Order: sequence, then structure tokens, then C-alpha cells
Amino acid sequence: MSEATLLAVFEDLDPAASAIEKLHEMGVGDENINVISGVPVAHKILGRPHPWTNVSKLSMGGAIAGFAFGIFLNFGTPHLYGVHVGGQYITPIPPGAIVTFEMTMLFALLATFLGVFLDSYFPNYRPLEYVGEVSDGKIAVFFRISEADAKKFTDAMNTLGAESVKPAEARQL
Amino acid sequence: MTATSKYLSGAKEAHDSHHQEEDPKQYLMYDPKPRGEMNAMVMESMHTTSWKFWVVLGVLAFLVVTCFFFAWGYMIDEGLYVGGVMRPSYWGIFLVNTVFWIGISHAGTFISAILRVFKAEFRRPFTRAAELMTTFGLIQAGASIFMHMGRVWLSYWMLPIPNARQLWPNFHSPLMWDLLAITTYVLGSTMYLFLPLIPDLAMARDRSTGWRKTFYKILALGFRGTEGEWRHLTVAMNFFAFAIIPVMFSVHTIVSWDFAMAMRPGWSSSVFGPYFVLGALHSGMGAVAMVLFVMRATMKHMDYFIRKEHFDALGKLMLMVTFAYTYFFFNDYIVQWYGGDKATDTLLHWLEEGPMAWMFIQFVFFNIVIPPLLLWSKKVRETPWLLALIGLMINVGMYWERYLIIPVMLTINRMPFTWKLFQPRIEIFLTIGTFSMFLLFYMIVSRLIPLIPVWEVQEGQMTHSLRKVGKAKLPTISEFE
Repeated sequence: MSEATLLAVFEDLDPAASAIEKLHEMGVGDENINVISGVPVAHKILGRPHPWTNVSKLSMGGAIAGFAFGIFLNFGTPHLYGVHVGGQYITPIPPGAIVTFEMTMLFALLATFLGVFLDSYFPNYRPLEYVGEVSDGKIAVFFRISEADAKKFTDAMNTLGAESVKPAEARQL
Repeated sequence: MTATSKYLSGAKEAHDSHHQEEDPKQYLMYDPKPRGEMNAMVMESMHTTSWKFWVVLGVLAFLVVTCFFFAWGYMIDEGLYVGGVMRPSYWGIFLVNTVFWIGISHAGTFISAILRVFKAEFRRPFTRAAELMTTFGLIQAGASIFMHMGRVWLSYWMLPIPNARQLWPNFHSPLMWDLLAITTYVLGSTMYLFLPLIPDLAMARDRSTGWRKTFYKILALGFRGTEGEWRHLTVAMNFFAFAIIPVMFSVHTIVSWDFAMAMRPGWSSSVFGPYFVLGALHSGMGAVAMVLFVMRATMKHMDYFIRKEHFDALGKLMLMVTFAYTYFFFNDYIVQWYGGDKATDTLLHWLEEGPMAWMFIQFVFFNIVIPPLLLWSKKVRETPWLLALIGLMINVGMYWERYLIIPVMLTINRMPFTWKLFQPRIEIFLTIGTFSMFLLFYMIVSRLIPLIPVWEVQEGQMTHSLRKVGKAKLPTISEFE
């Protein structure tokens, strides 16, 4: 049985939330639904599962890598070519704390930034399913269903106040 | 009507008007417009330019070419002797400019990150304008350091890479900490500027044609606004907001250590770290007031997004920072004054009565005396040109403060036979060059990227509402995230 992806555009959050509830009732699982919006909307407002993200884990990974690099710069490099002056330690701790802090933060910030790219698959210049009205504040709900049920779902979305319901088409953004 | 009853009725009117209910629509968050309309307003503000804009742009471009690139090229070709740096003032205006621009850069982080962490709603329309100041300010700070290096092509010697004999740079020098801290701050603040910009670039992409469409399409990275994309973005922005704050504090503290680590009169002070950070915020806030005034006065539709309430809030922040700055200034000054060190005594007397006393007096008046006298008044805070003028005054004063700390305090040292007042030469042109470049970048970017984060404004407007409690309508804020 062939599948179709429909795109329903809603003016506001309330009808969009009702539409998602209706889709659940009609047997469409969360894995077959996607919502795009012009502002971040908490999952609980739309009755959606909590979206996963690896960004915080990557931040932590970056911080650990940065900490290790800072330790290497401070306490590793002076020993590669030891220059001992006046019997003083070549690896004092207080200046080391400063460099280690900066490296920890730098790597953590870089990893966080890259994490957004990795998790969101940025940059992505391929044709994608999208409607420009989203950046005008509309809420778009995509859902994948069997092609035979398209009429039934279109009617249901229209009843719940969708401004338009049409087959989603991938287009160049 | 007797004079007494006239007085009483007048007093009643004044009392009633004072207690009249405020119109909530005067606040941006309670005066929403459809998102499409706000998008159109921001796009129009980017596209509309008058001939005056191009004239100013042309003048700035000319100044950048002559005072920045040509003057710097000439100095590289001839050597540092064309500048005024010589014994005893080996650190001249280049370092003054570095400290000044890093100070300016602190406003962006303070406005954007700290106010985001504390959920201060008034920040929403002008976070980007402040963040841009951070990035452009740091570019000028970096350029000033490179100018000061003289043989700028050898700057890679500071990078953490070993030479042919496996000898690495010495990371125990405050100058190396500067390199690491400023690099971290430049990269961190640029990434922090870019992340919240992505949804607005996507908005601009959807409304553009021709070369602009291609430009926004590349920068928007294919952002659509899916649940996942928003989730990754908001988690990252929250992380940045928290993480960039200690980085910001560390940068100017480390800059202060360039001075405080040396046993020099006027420099060796344990409060230099927080004193510098407060000074940076002081000048940064003033610069934000100036930028907001210019944006509102010159760009279309900005009076909708940037209102009296924003100037009022900024004025309150400036007042608070002024008090904190005054506290640290007094603390630094009085401890040195009581110290009894002969060289420090001479320096302090020299500041008050010497040939640079006019600079010291201006600094004290512009930064410590005048701002609190004016900023307590709501009328002053809500008058954009007046707040911008106070901002300008603070920045002039802060520039003088850095001038006094660097070349002047280097002049009055423990070896009177070396005393020689610093006379800037080519540095004057290079300073004009850095200021021109900062303004030029700002003007160009104001026509290329949305200066107002429209999605953040809409998000704010969606979360604000008026709730009826008894007979009054009270502002209520909910959270979407």
C-alpha cells in the first residue's frame, strides 16, 4: 500500500494541538508526525513526545576534551623541552588553572555549536518538505498515512480548523 | 474658587493621573502584531536606505582604507618608531584601544546572556544589536593587539605549536592567557551570535529573491523549524548563555592582570579584575544606548520594536553598573592613597594636578559624578537622545580612564630619570581607523541581517498576557519552553 505525506497548516497552537490529538486517535503514531513552527514550542503544549538531543552530551564531551588539552598545554608541554630556571617548578598550578579553564570552555562551546549542526543535519541544501507560512507564525503538521486514507484525514483536519491540507512536497528552500 | 481649593483640586488631578492605569500597549510584549507583519517590517528596515546612508558609508570606507589599512601598512613598512611608543611608555594607545574595545564587547554578552539566564523580558528586541557589538568590538581589539606587535607576521609564535626544537610557548605569561581568553571569547560570542540568528535567516530566505535569497539560503543552513531543530537550538543557546558568562568575566579579568601582575605604581592592585569587568560593562552599556538610539532614529519601523521601556530598563542597568563601578574605583583609589608608597603618591598627585589632570577630572565627572545624577530620573532614562548622550559621555570617560592607566601610569614609574609624557603619533590615525571600521561593519550588517530577533519577540508576545484580578488587569507571563 503506497503512503502519502499530508501537510496541514494551522493558524494557532490550539487547533494544531487538537489536530495532533485527532491524528493519534485515528491511529497515526508520533513517529509519523512532524511539526514545524516559527517559534520554539514545548512538546507538552502539542502533546508530542520529548524530542531527543545529543547537544548537551556533546558539550560535556567537548569540555572533557578541552580540560585534557589544557592540562597537556600546562603540564605536558613544559616537559617536552624542560627549561629550568632558578630551581623553580616549570608547571605551577595557578597559571595552569587559567589556561585549563579557557581551553575547557572553548572546547565545550565549539562542541555545542557543532552539536547543533550534527543533530540537525546542518547544512542541508537538498529539497525539503516546507511551507513558507511557518516563518509567518503558522504551525504546519506533517503526517504520513496510507494514500487510501488521504480524504478521510483531510476532512478531519479541515474540521479542526486547518487553513489548508495538501500533499507535502519536497522543494528547494 | 479660593486659592486653597484650586490647589487642592490641582493636587487631586495630579494624584489621579499618577495612579491612572498604564496602557499596557506601550510595552512591546503587550502590543503584538501578526508575525508576518513584523517580518515585513524588519525586512523593510533592512532594504530601505537613503542617500545619507551611502554618504556616511562612503566616508567610513574612506577612513578605513586610509586610517586603518594604509596607516597600518605604513607602520609595518617603516617600523614601530612612527608611533609614539618609547621608553617609558612601551604600551601606548594600541593597548588603550584593545582594553576599550574588549570593554565594549562585554555589553553584548551581558545583555544577551545574563538577561537571558534571568529571563529579563525587555532584552528580547535588542539582544542581537548588542551581540553584534561584541563581535565587532573584539575584531577591533584583536586588530589593535596585532598593530602593537609590530612584526605582525610572527603572531603565530603565540599559538600552541612547538618550534623546531620542540620548545612550546610559555603559558605562564598573562599575555598568553590573553591570547587564549580572547580567542575563546571571539569564537564563543560569534557562535552565540549565529545560533539565534538561524531562524531569522530562514525567515529572510523565505522573503527574498536574487542574490539575497542565495545569501540567506546558505546561511540559514536548511533550517525549517522542526521540533528537533528547535530543541537542539534552544539547548545550545541555553548552554551558551550560561557558559559565555564566566568566559566574559575571565577575559577582562585576564586583561586587567596584564597590568596588575606587574609591581608598578597604580597597577599592582588586587581589585583590578572586578574593577576592569565593571568598567567594561559601564562602557558597554553606554555603547548599547548609543546604538539603540541610532537604530531607532535611522532605521524604518524600529520605533515599534525599540521603545521607551527599553531605554528605561537600560538606563536602570547603567545606573546600577555606575554605582558598582564607583565602588570599585573608590576602593582601588583609596587603598593606593593610604598605602604611603612614595611612587604611588607621586602618581596620584600627578593625576590630580599634572598635565593630564584634565583627563582625570573628565573621567571622574563623566563616569562617576554625572551618570547617577541624571539616571535616577525616569524622564531622562526614557529620553533616547539623552540616554545616548550619557552613553557617549561614559565612553569618553572610560577611554580616558584606560589612557590614564596605560601610557600615563607607565610614565610615572620608580625611575624619575625616564619620565617622559607619551605623545601619540600614527596611533591617532589607527584609532580613527578602528572606530570607523566598527561603525562600517555595523552599517553593512544592518542591511544584511535582521537586527531584530523577530522569533524571540514573537515568542515573548505569545507568552505575555493580561489576567483580570479583581478590577485590575495584571501582566502575566507563562513559559513555552
